[in-house]
Amino acid sequence: MEEKLLSIKNNAISLILETQSPQELEEIRIQFLGRNGEITLLMKNLPKLPKEERPKMGIIFNEAKNIIEETIKTRERSLKETKSKNIPALDVTEPGIKPPLGHLHLVTQAIREITTIFTQIGFTRARYPEIEWDWYAFTSLNFPENHPARDDWETFFIKQQANPKKGSVLLTPHTSSGQVREMEKGKLPIKMLNIAKTYRRQSDVSHTQMFHQFEGLVVGENIAISDLKGTLNYFVKSYFGENRISRIRPYHFQFTEPSFEVDITCGICLGKGCRLCKEGWLELGGAGMVHPNVLKAGNVDPNKYTGFAFGWGVERVLMMKDGIQIDDLRILYNNDLDFLRQF
Amino acid sequence: MNIKILDSWLREYLKTSANPKKIAEKLSLTSVSVERIEKYNNDFVYDIEVTTNRSEMMSIIGLAQEAATALKQSGIDATFIKREFNLPNIRLQKSPTLTIKFDEKLVNRISAVIMEIKIKESPKYVKERLEASGIRSLNNVIDITNYVMREIGHPTHVFDYDRLSNHTLIIRESKKGEQMKTLDGKEYTLSGGDIIADNGKGEIVDLISIMGTANSVVTNSTKRILFFIDNVDPHRLRKTSMEHGIRTEAVILNEKGINPERTSEALARGIELFQTLADGEIVSEIIDLYPNPSKETVIMLSQEKINKIIGIEIPIQKSMDILTSLGFLVSEQQGILHVTVPARMTGNDMLIPEDLIEEIARIYGYENIPDTLPSFQTATYFHLDKNDFYWEDHLKDALKYWGFTEVYTYPMVSEVLYEGPIDNAVTIENPLTDDMVYMRRTLIPSLLQVIKENQDHEIIKLFELANIYEKNNEELPKQSLKLAGVIHKPNASFWGVKGIIEQLLADLEIKNATFKQLSDRYGAMVVINKDEIGTVEILDNSTVTFELDFSLIIKYATVKKVYKQISKYPPIVEDLAVIARASVQTGELMDAIRNQSELIQEVSLLDKYQDTRTFHIIYQSYDKNLKDNEVGEIREKILKVLRAKFSARLKG
Repeated sequence: MEEKLLSIKNNAISLILETQSPQELEEIRIQFLGRNGEITLLMKNLPKLPKEERPKMGIIFNEAKNIIEETIKTRERSLKETKSKNIPALDVTEPGIKPPLGHLHLVTQAIREITTIFTQIGFTRARYPEIEWDWYAFTSLNFPENHPARDDWETFFIKQQANPKKGSVLLTPHTSSGQVREMEKGKLPIKMLNIAKTYRRQSDVSHTQMFHQFEGLVVGENIAISDLKGTLNYFVKSYFGENRISRIRPYHFQFTEPSFEVDITCGICLGKGCRLCKEGWLELGGAGMVHPNVLKAGNVDPNKYTGFAFGWGVERVLMMKDGIQIDDLRILYNNDLDFLRQF
Repeated sequence: MNIKILDSWLREYLKTSANPKKIAEKLSLTSVSVERIEKYNNDFVYDIEVTTNRSEMMSIIGLAQEAATALKQSGIDATFIKREFNLPNIRLQKSPTLTIKFDEKLVNRISAVIMEIKIKESPKYVKERLEASGIRSLNNVIDITNYVMREIGHPTHVFDYDRLSNHTLIIRESKKGEQMKTLDGKEYTLSGGDIIADNGKGEIVDLISIMGTANSVVTNSTKRILFFIDNVDPHRLRKTSMEHGIRTEAVILNEKGINPERTSEALARGIELFQTLADGEIVSEIIDLYPNPSKETVIMLSQEKINKIIGIEIPIQKSMDILTSLGFLVSEQQGILHVTVPARMTGNDMLIPEDLIEEIARIYGYENIPDTLPSFQTATYFHLDKNDFYWEDHLKDALKYWGFTEVYTYPMVSEVLYEGPIDNAVTIENPLTDDMVYMRRTLIPSLLQVIKENQDHEIIKLFELANIYEKNNEELPKQSLKLAGVIHKPNASFWGVKGIIEQLLADLEIKNATFKQLSDRYGAMVVINKDEIGTVEILDNSTVTFELDFSLIIKYATVKKVYKQISKYPPIVEDLAVIARASVQTGELMDAIRNQSELIQEVSLLDKYQDTRTFHIIYQSYDKNLKDNEVGEIREKILKVLRAKFSARLKG
């Protein structure tokens, strides 16, 4: 009997703790302690016990009844409290408790987007030196010594003895310095993406002494102008939007032949011509078919392989994107937290 | 370089019904870039960017021929009005003499003539054309030299013949230390090797192809001129020009290497203009010294190569038509074009088949070439954990989600921000500004600078991933990526930053990093195995920094995951409050505790208050339920060791 009483008691307590309303609680009370309740019915068997056991059993019964009643009372209180405390107190307009959220620099965000776009069509990102030999930045790219075309690059030089073979040491003025380095790895075909810091002696609203470029280099057995056009149009539509169109125009770079200047339609007027763009087109950057002399400098046979390359400003494409109306490029590197925390 | 020309001037050589806008559009898409068209009185002025390889486009004639070809290809009527500029055939009995001597290494060609002229004002159209072109009108004689330069594309010069007292010009290399005064009154001391004209008495009378000198230049009283067109070694004059910062329009053109065939054209056109605008009379024979005339060249070009590079099939007849229209002579044999480049069209950008393919493709129209994507995939295997861009993103994201703001600061710094012996700095030879001269060897000063400039913010957490630079003897400077950060707030905590580094590393599956006290600074060295990967430093009460070597972190980072079986038996947890001297390091206590039994799964510091450190210990077995007495034995062992090693004891 004692065991049976114990199991009824445990069952009662666990049921009480699960109740969600006073009604439920009352039902439980009747189920166990009512006139036909489980405890009451079991108690009716008390007289059947040997006389000497009855007092002890009586005490146990009372204890069980007390515990159950006590539990019911406690539960009753807590149900009332829950009701009065939680439901009316929930103010959903109060600010949430936020985990910390910092900010990645706009340039990092642009680099990630550019990288993702190009890796979709099989480009692999690589890193090359930022301080580089003249050989990789100019001479191997078909810039003869002291050539006037070098003037356009506004290059910073490092105070260091020039190497007899590789020339002086400089801050890379363009990401094209990675081209011959990539070819030297000796793995063909190539589909390389180089995004890096670049440096030029210029500072005004549209130039900072340090900026970033992204460079694509593709070298393979049948790479044509049409591949270059397709690749850059793929980028333009992915990055700027499918309603934008790109075009190429003749230009000149020492390291490509033919060379192109790439334009995209203005985001405001979509090519019709407006106050902002004048003729409907915005200049994006340069591109071209890799010059045979550059392939030779990278130990690639120009009779077997052809290639194309392009190199554009990260900040430039960032600023040409809808929504970012930055009128002074230098703000990107002033590191004003009120600016950085906007993005 | 840019050239500005009037529409009406262009139309002296171009007959077309196309309006300026159409001409500009066609030129831009197939040839040179017309950056602007502006109204100029009743005329229009084109502002055109010409690339360094196409100096022949720095002329009315070059542009007219190009425009005619481009317009015709797109079905618009257009004709290039070609004029022959022939030198007059002069035979004179008693002409003024002039002796010219030169070294063939320096000079390609000299074309010259002596004329009697009258100095006066230029007619209105000349003035207008020059001024629209950005050239100030001075007098008819000087204006003619500039007019010819614009029209033909070759710079020209005039001397006052009577000021060349010896009637001699010796074109030679300058000697070091020679002095001269240019026509604008500036004095220069030459460093040697410059190309100059000497009047036979050792005096410099011209800085050839760059600028005239004060002692020989035309004045208002000039009666006889020497009209002089020189074509010399572009590399040498570029060196002189750059060295002395003399960047006249003449040298900017001449240094690009102008085809010497054009000097006689310029001379003929100039004579014509002196005759009509300056009452000019030729008083000498025509001088034309041309020791090594340019020769036509032949480039072989296969149809297969044309199609391979352009990416579509171009009918061979189309290629031939385009090249012919541009002035080449073309014949074909079995799919191979033999293209003759006339002497006046030869140059550095007309040497290889690709140069001709560019001519064909641009006139054919880039818009007519379809878009394709390269058809191959590179077959290099990809390993995520060897891809440092993956880890770069990973680390940056973690810091971002812990509330850090990423900055990009300039890698070039001032002496103040350099922080270190300045003689060892990687230094810029030609800095633009004083605050960007040295390539930095640590990112921290730049980050602190950002904090200084953002004083209005109370709590600042910054990070940057960028290179630092160190001298490396004769080799390229060492360039290594660093991940640096700073926390700036009232009572910034060392352990706050340490915890960030521990979690950053843990996220890369690096679990064995240790922190060793720095002897010379207030902070710790972060060590993995034997590699010192960076430091954490307390700078002051409110500033704690860190700087870690990116490639050393990546060396240990892995995407490999190791599964450890989960115990079926519940852990037993207890907290031990230990009293120890302040000099006893918490790390030592924790190591000592951990080493007492393999059943200790985890030891952490729960709390530190005065001399009491409370450790949270988790005991767990993989084989059985632990009994109280088993845990008790381990606890006794722990207390015994703590007492013996550190004189530490249990609290209470």
